[in-house]
Amino acid sequence: MPIPKLNFLLKWTKERIPVDVQDLKSISNEPVPNHLKHWWFALGGTPAILFCIQIVTGIFLLFYYVPTPTEAYDSVTKITHEVRFGWYIRSIHKWASELMIVTVMLHMSRVYFTGAYRKPRELNWMVGVIILFVTLGLAFTGYSLTYDQLSYWAAVVGTEIAESTPLVGPLAADFIRGGQEISGNTLTRLYVFHIVIFPAALAGLVVLHIIFVRLQGVTQFEFERERRSRHRTYPLFPDHILTEAILGILILYLLTMMAIIFPAGLGDRADPLMTPEHIKPEWYFFASFRWLKLTNVYIGVIGQIFFVGVIIAWPFIDRIFENKFPKAELSVWIGILGFSFYLILTIWEALV
Amino acid sequence: MSLNAKKIVIVVIGLFFLCSLLIIGAIESNKRVLGKKATIKVSAVSKNCVECHSVKSPSLVEQWRDSMHAIRGVACMDCHEALKTDVDAWEHEGYTIAVIVSPKDCSKCHAQENKEFQESHHADAAKIIGSLDNVLAEVVEGNTGRLGLDGNSPAAINGCWQCHGSVVKIGKDGRPTPATWPNTGIGRINPDGSKGSCTACHSRHTFSPVVARQPDSCGKCHMGPDHPQKEIYEASKHGIAFKAFKEYMKLDAQPWRVGIEYTAAPTCATCHMSATQEQSVTHDVGRRISWNLRPPISEKIDAKAIKAGKAVESWEQRRKNMKNVCSKCHSDKYVDGFYIQFDSAINLYNEKYGIPSTKIIKMMKAGGVLTPTAFDEELEWTYFYLWHHEGRRARHGASMMAPDYTQWHGFFEVAERFYIHFVPQVKEACEKAIHKKGESAATAKEVLKELDTILNKEEHKWFLGKMSSDEKASRKAAAEEFKKRYAQN
Repeated sequence: MPIPKLNFLLKWTKERIPVDVQDLKSISNEPVPNHLKHWWFALGGTPAILFCIQIVTGIFLLFYYVPTPTEAYDSVTKITHEVRFGWYIRSIHKWASELMIVTVMLHMSRVYFTGAYRKPRELNWMVGVIILFVTLGLAFTGYSLTYDQLSYWAAVVGTEIAESTPLVGPLAADFIRGGQEISGNTLTRLYVFHIVIFPAALAGLVVLHIIFVRLQGVTQFEFERERRSRHRTYPLFPDHILTEAILGILILYLLTMMAIIFPAGLGDRADPLMTPEHIKPEWYFFASFRWLKLTNVYIGVIGQIFFVGVIIAWPFIDRIFENKFPKAELSVWIGILGFSFYLILTIWEALV
Repeated sequence: MSLNAKKIVIVVIGLFFLCSLLIIGAIESNKRVLGKKATIKVSAVSKNCVECHSVKSPSLVEQWRDSMHAIRGVACMDCHEALKTDVDAWEHEGYTIAVIVSPKDCSKCHAQENKEFQESHHADAAKIIGSLDNVLAEVVEGNTGRLGLDGNSPAAINGCWQCHGSVVKIGKDGRPTPATWPNTGIGRINPDGSKGSCTACHSRHTFSPVVARQPDSCGKCHMGPDHPQKEIYEASKHGIAFKAFKEYMKLDAQPWRVGIEYTAAPTCATCHMSATQEQSVTHDVGRRISWNLRPPISEKIDAKAIKAGKAVESWEQRRKNMKNVCSKCHSDKYVDGFYIQFDSAINLYNEKYGIPSTKIIKMMKAGGVLTPTAFDEELEWTYFYLWHHEGRRARHGASMMAPDYTQWHGFFEVAERFYIHFVPQVKEACEKAIHKKGESAATAKEVLKELDTILNKEEHKWFLGKMSSDEKASRKAAAEEFKKRYAQN
């Protein structure tokens, strides 16, 4: 039974913010299709939760990080060793970024293998692919900010790869670097990309992505068992929200355990005059790195651009395959092939 | 999963999460209390060393933990491991180790630094053991007999050798003898035959470049009445700037280049060793020095090598190397002007005091006017003070811009020593020899003649009251002008 003071507060608010709570509840309580009860359908919400965690931890890191070549490494060292719980926030930020890439890729695989990119969802697929690349961009720019040896030289190699793109390469490299060579401008630029441009873009794209999902509904299809159930949907409140809550608290717990067992470390200070013997990018670029090592610069770069093009345009390519070979389920086989190829190249680079 | 089941799952995972946060809090407070840093990986072999010595010598282990070695995974056995055939190897808790880590051992990873160091005069510091200075420590001041330690003079063991380095001897028990170790003198002759001791500047076990770059590190040895480089530095503008702006010096930066990582002031290392934009760091401290200011008569640093027919870096090139450092703060004209002034001071010392006094003493020793025993006559001490103490102070003061050392601790005392002690003592010794009418009488007469020739030179004439009337007049006029300028009314 509501206490008088609470009633007064509700009345006071309603007079100034005229929203009917009941209406709000019924609008947002969209029925969720039953198959979302399967946990691998939660892979879309997971990166979103991680994105929110990244923003919060990122803001805390922003309090202490200094984006100049002379101060960057020292500020990261300070965060890791001197700032209260700085090592914890930094470790969360690091592991959440790795987990975000994994879950985005897993979500993408789920969407792919359930054919959820097909008409009328082609546009949403393309938005999703762009989200993947913005996420990778966030990871790359974020990694470059620590300004230790590996991070600095990974950025150097990254800009050199960009530079070797035919036609637009030098322009793109100059844009990333803020000049013809890596300088203080470069760090500032990567910093701006990491804290403003990419997050804003990602937020906008995710909103668009969710709008599309709400407009078109989650892909409806059912499994054998579910055909027998009377209800085809279940409520968003509180059922699916609780599912998402479980997910959220599980992620927080996992990230904290990762921070305890594998806290984020720091290599040697970046030395532009000393090239380390083995420069390696982060694991999510291993496949790309290995591909470049296996091929010459043209096939390496153009090949990857082609690959990206195929992924973006996949709904339309798939449609052609469906029309020509309806029963073959070519998309599944091509998907298995493509994914395996990425996995093999990644593991190869990791081992060598 | 039913709604209730979901709620239970949330609570359970939530509890796990809260427990993990407790662990986070514990880790954080642990860090704060003990100041511990991120875990360092230690090889299995060295783990035993760390475990035991954390109790036996905790500061030693903590210093190592703070070092770059620890961060890079270089631990105890990587430096102290010895082969059974090594002359200083011994069995310790089941491991074959050597306590002394020589530059040869360090060169496993620091080959370039060791190569440069071995070519430097620092590595030859133990040469003193064959010099006159050592006679002082072993015979004059000390004793190698009944008061000696294993036949060595305690004055040398505790004094000279602690800077210059001992010759480490291994006793019958396989351990270094107490007379020769502990010793971290920079020219130490190690059991493995290598020269030097890296820990002389890069104090163990932190081996921090911050310590090595600090002027006090050099100042442990480069100080005192016979070579007050530290005192001179502190009295100079360079030292004053360092004291004022030490917090801006970024002593822990790597690389550490004057004009880039730091600009506030030079330290000893800045000029004599450390990197500039054009030069990399060198552990050969002679590479930027043009004069040898040590001997009774100063000569250019490559003179000895040229006489011996060896090809070394010319003094002109070394001066250029030094000028490269100066140029980071000073204009070329300024630097060139300084060197002209400095060269003139060395020339003054050489010509007025160094060369004449050395010639006299050589004649007296050769002709028997002075006994063959070193330091048994007052004149020998006088001469020693003249070139080894006051003479060096004047030269060093001029080299590093400390005017008071150059003048009052330097040339003033050189002059006093020369005119009021050296000259009368030479005269007295020669007159004694002539009076005795012995074998040395003839030499004594020649010495007195030589002394007369010296004192009649332009720079010494004043002593004989023979200053020219022109000079007298101009000096008087100058004095009058200054009196007028600074008159109190």
